[in-house]
Amino acid sequence: MIDRREVIRMARLARLELSEMEIDQYQKDLTSFLTSGKKLQQVDVSRVEGTSHAVSVAHELRKDEVGKSLPQEAVLLGGPQVQDGFFRVPRIVEAQE
Amino acid sequence: MTSYDTVIGLEIHVALLTQSKFLCSCSASFGAPPNSQCCPICLGLPGALPLINEKAVEYATKAGLALNCQINHFSRFDRKNYFYPDLPKAYQITQDAFPLCTKGFLEYYVDDRLVQTEITRIHLEEEAGKLIHSGASIVDSEYSLVDYNRAGIPLIEIVTAPDIHHPRQARLFLEQLRLLMSYIGVSDTKMEEGSLRCDANISLKPNGSSVLGTKVEIKNLNSFRALERALEYEEMRQSQVLYRGGTIRQESRTWDDRAGKTMSMRSKGDAPDYRIFPEPDVPPLYLDPVWVELIRATIPELPLERLRRLEGQYGLSRYEATFLVNYPDFGELFFALVSQHFGYKSIVNFLMGDYARLAREKGHLNPKRIAGLLKIVDEGVISQTQGKGVLDDLFSSDLSAREIVEEKGLEVVGDPGRLRPIAREVLAANRELVSRFQNGETKLFGFFVGQVMRVTQGKADPGVVNELLRDELGK
Repeated sequence: MIDRREVIRMARLARLELSEMEIDQYQKDLTSFLTSGKKLQQVDVSRVEGTSHAVSVAHELRKDEVGKSLPQEAVLLGGPQVQDGFFRVPRIVEAQE
Repeated sequence: MTSYDTVIGLEIHVALLTQSKFLCSCSASFGAPPNSQCCPICLGLPGALPLINEKAVEYATKAGLALNCQINHFSRFDRKNYFYPDLPKAYQITQDAFPLCTKGFLEYYVDDRLVQTEITRIHLEEEAGKLIHSGASIVDSEYSLVDYNRAGIPLIEIVTAPDIHHPRQARLFLEQLRLLMSYIGVSDTKMEEGSLRCDANISLKPNGSSVLGTKVEIKNLNSFRALERALEYEEMRQSQVLYRGGTIRQESRTWDDRAGKTMSMRSKGDAPDYRIFPEPDVPPLYLDPVWVELIRATIPELPLERLRRLEGQYGLSRYEATFLVNYPDFGELFFALVSQHFGYKSIVNFLMGDYARLAREKGHLNPKRIAGLLKIVDEGVISQTQGKGVLDDLFSSDLSAREIVEEKGLEVVGDPGRLRPIAREVLAANRELVSRFQNGETKLFGFFVGQVMRVTQGKADPGVVNELLRDELGK
């Protein structure tokens, strides 16, 4: 069983607010994921090259050409606070000497 | 008492001068209304599929080659996860484990000593958005405004080894790196617009020790001067902490240019945990070696090569050559004028003199018009001093130097037939002085020359005037 504090930390990193019940549930689920992962780790892959992608795509590059962007109103639609065409966000860091 | 050595490493972000962004086709231009150059890809909306801009890879490779790096045939993109308001996707697509370029170096002068700074790596990544803080700096801002036009512009991050030894060297390195980037044309390198940015890592270690001390990262360095000042401040702060027996805390500090000091930045969130993993939306990059060679062929003469050529082939001093290298527009003018067979030194003296001042105010003159002026001074049609006046006029009119001289009637008068009557008049008007001269007051000669020059408004050829006066006075 993984540590309950580990679940809370992961939720915080992902900016998720979990109820006590959800924390219990994730603790079980994540433990089961990790158990499956442990099983996979028993397979000898020392002779297999690492894969970062399921499909191998070679050299798919785009020409440097400007296309259409979204209108400003559409971009700002998702912002909880907007000011003069900008997104407005609360205080970012605290200062100390 | 222990003395300490300073160890500095730099991380430089250079925005690449592409038309469109790194992973989408939004415009990468500067100065548009906020949030008007964004799309589902650079905003990280669900379902968007990024595609790499070929030009960005080309420019990053070019930068790597110019910095003597190994260009890796295989490189890979990674997802770096963190929450920060300038990052719309909550992750940045970057290269972590397998960067595009590794193991290079930059050679540059620190005073008269040629030094090398190792480049550990160069990787491609996407730019974040721009934050405008409500207060004077990030630490005293109640809120900030975000513009995502910049988010997704292609960047390269150049990381040096920690082998820079003092704040001034860091500044010289950055100046040379900036110059190199502008020579190869991959960036407009404007620090004030943020297309060249630098973070600095600095630590102190006991003199001679091989173990590095705890490093501090300094952010918000918006000019070469800020970089040098911030490092000087931090060098002093850290040494004071160490002399008092304290320890340095590993942290990020922000430079406050007005206050002239660094301040600790304590994030409201947790210590960073980026949970980096291979980027699933962008496949790895396999560079065709033939393409790399084609890119290598586009690299022009680099600043250090040009410096050596100007000193070696043209015999210029370090000072003169450095001027022409650091101001490539003046360098180009020099080469344009050299091809028209003027003396190298006289061209460089001309460019570095009044011309530099006027050109900075009003923009450069066409090399042909400059050549016209140098020619008539060379031929003695006008004097050096008159040349300065003509230069002023070249900047304010469309006439050629010769036309200006004609219009103003500036030619040097060297015709004895025209000058002799003037010399006689001058002597006739000053009979008393003439007799004093003839009685041995030879220094009066200069006075007579001056009088002739005055009457001719400085146009008389001084050589001819001397000769005529001697002749007349000897009669």
